[in-house]
Amino acid sequence: MNPLLLELPLAAVAALSGALAVTSARRGAWIALLLMTTVAALLEFRPTDSLSPALLLRLAAIYGATLYALPAGMLERRALAHDLQPRRLIATLADHPVVAVSAAAGLILGAIPLALPIEGSSVLLRGAGVALLLIGLPPLLTSRYVEATARAAVVTLSGALLLRASILGALDLFSSIAMAAGFAALLLIGAAVAGQLTKAEE
Amino acid sequence: MNDALTLQALSAIRALSPLLFALLSLFVIPIVRSDRFGSKRDAHVRGGSAAVALLLLSSVAALLAGSGYGSTLNAGLITVDPSEPGRLLVTLGGAVFALIVAVGQGRRAGAMGQVALFGLALIDLALAIPIGLAPITLLLVGSASLSALAAGDKEDAQRARAVFRDLRTVGVLLTVTVMAELLRSAIPLSATDPSYATTSSLTAGVALTLSLVLLGMIGAFPFHHRLVRIFESLPIVGSLMVGVWIPAALSLIILNELSLLSSSVSEPIGGAVVAALFITGTVTLLFGGLSALLHDDVGEVLGFLAVGNAGWLTLGAAAIILHPSAVGPLLVALPGALVISLFGLWRISIRRHYELTSLQELSGWARRTRALGVVLICAVVSQAAVPAREFFSGGFDIAGQGGSLLVTVGALLGAGALAAAAVRLLLIGVAQESQDVHRTRKGKVLSPAAIWLMAGAILISGVAAGLINIEAAASGLLRPDPVESVPQYSTP
Repeated sequence: MNPLLLELPLAAVAALSGALAVTSARRGAWIALLLMTTVAALLEFRPTDSLSPALLLRLAAIYGATLYALPAGMLERRALAHDLQPRRLIATLADHPVVAVSAAAGLILGAIPLALPIEGSSVLLRGAGVALLLIGLPPLLTSRYVEATARAAVVTLSGALLLRASILGALDLFSSIAMAAGFAALLLIGAAVAGQLTKAEE
Repeated sequence: MNDALTLQALSAIRALSPLLFALLSLFVIPIVRSDRFGSKRDAHVRGGSAAVALLLLSSVAALLAGSGYGSTLNAGLITVDPSEPGRLLVTLGGAVFALIVAVGQGRRAGAMGQVALFGLALIDLALAIPIGLAPITLLLVGSASLSALAAGDKEDAQRARAVFRDLRTVGVLLTVTVMAELLRSAIPLSATDPSYATTSSLTAGVALTLSLVLLGMIGAFPFHHRLVRIFESLPIVGSLMVGVWIPAALSLIILNELSLLSSSVSEPIGGAVVAALFITGTVTLLFGGLSALLHDDVGEVLGFLAVGNAGWLTLGAAAIILHPSAVGPLLVALPGALVISLFGLWRISIRRHYELTSLQELSGWARRTRALGVVLICAVVSQAAVPAREFFSGGFDIAGQGGSLLVTVGALLGAGALAAAAVRLLLIGVAQESQDVHRTRKGKVLSPAAIWLMAGAILISGVAAGLINIEAAASGLLRPDPVESVPQYSTP
């Protein structure tokens, strides 16, 4: 099977869900974040033959931390169906044209060699990586909301790791463990601090 | 077969001893706090005492285990090879934090002891694993996690915002670290295809990104806000661990990386990286010293003293790029951490005694608590000794390496301002007593606790000032690749 057929939709989904993770409110953002991290991990570790322990560890860390960090009532079925309507998601992206344009620009920019010896690297991985970096970095630096900042940090870091993987391949075991801990810590600390700030302000 | 397994288990215990003590605290501290061991009212005292004992044991265990081949763990793809600097940081850090937790006591003494234990374990582990993404990532993630743990679940908006700032910083620095590794890995590839980026441009890029990680984490100007807020709002054990000790370990790793990078290329690293680091270091020293002189809140003053310390580390980074084989810059990290820890010891003692944070309100404190005066004198002496060693010792003249009179004069002025800020704390102590201080009971100089406190401060000061020459053991560079330097399956 041509790897392009697999990587092309995954790269597009990663960019789209990354954009929704930093622009949507509550349920939409968390579901988009889960989708983005899953797709980015699949692109990074390429489990075509077998599932690597590093991939499983990454996904377990992110899913576990997200489940713990999710505010109460976020998985209510009716509210989920309401918040995840395609019409709503498109409206969200339309309300944030800069992010949508950043995602598209990132995918295109990734196709251009970045003055590095990367002719052997994957164009689509690079595109998705640059797109996620462009999407995540502005809110990571400027957002005043804790949970949004934590999600932006996860998006940005996923982008950086994808860009790295496009040239150097997946991480070694030690670095994978450290990065999985990093993703989990970002989400858990974000949730804890958001809870404390809400209580203190009340 | 059994002998091999026993040796492997022994190596694992020796390699991971600080981590094992940290994990042990998760069981021991809740157990000693339970009603079975005494009244509920004294639970925090028992928890604090257990934490102090574990910190001291961890310190002794790190000293005994050392960093030889017998302490190297090889398990499949994983190699944990403890380094001398890591073991030294745990040995000294264990003793210093044990003293601080014992003096501070309080309801969360056990939890603060755990923060110190896990922080030291992280430092040891990060300095023991092969160079690459993992050690820096571990320290960054550990710093944010420990900052959240130290803040606890108290509904304090200021504390929560300090952790939020830390989270944002770590999020950015993790990304920058990945970029640094990406550029560094591309250096050997660039030699094979000159149509892309050149080796020298990539080297400058790596030096710049690594320096950004260092500046962001140690709190150099203009990234100082995080550090000041940490010292202002977090408990002192958390502030010291997140604001000084973990950055000291990170600086050892990054200085080592910069040294290897600089020595691997024939041309000097360009892109004005070195000049920018010299200027940033000088400005940070001046800014930290002057701000510490101008602020009134004790926490903020300590934060700015820590910012000043970051100035020395920044100058060290610039110097090691110019002279990769120099050991002087590596000797700055540990004394700096010890000096700020001494100020932290003074702060926690004085806060426990007076419950005041304003220097104006603390006027005359040294007249009533002379033991704390001794602690601060030790801090002032070591604060002045650290730059003096760098300027006048035969080791390595950091500021002089700037090659510019302006940098040297600026660094000297900054060091002077830092010393003046420390002396100011002492002068306020001998001034006329404020009403708040006058109302407080007088501290005994010859009580066992006061003698223990003064002896500890004098010892820490002796190490920081170089009178007790322990830190020289950590002057060597971290091994470039432990997998290559250590024979596989070696036995003691």
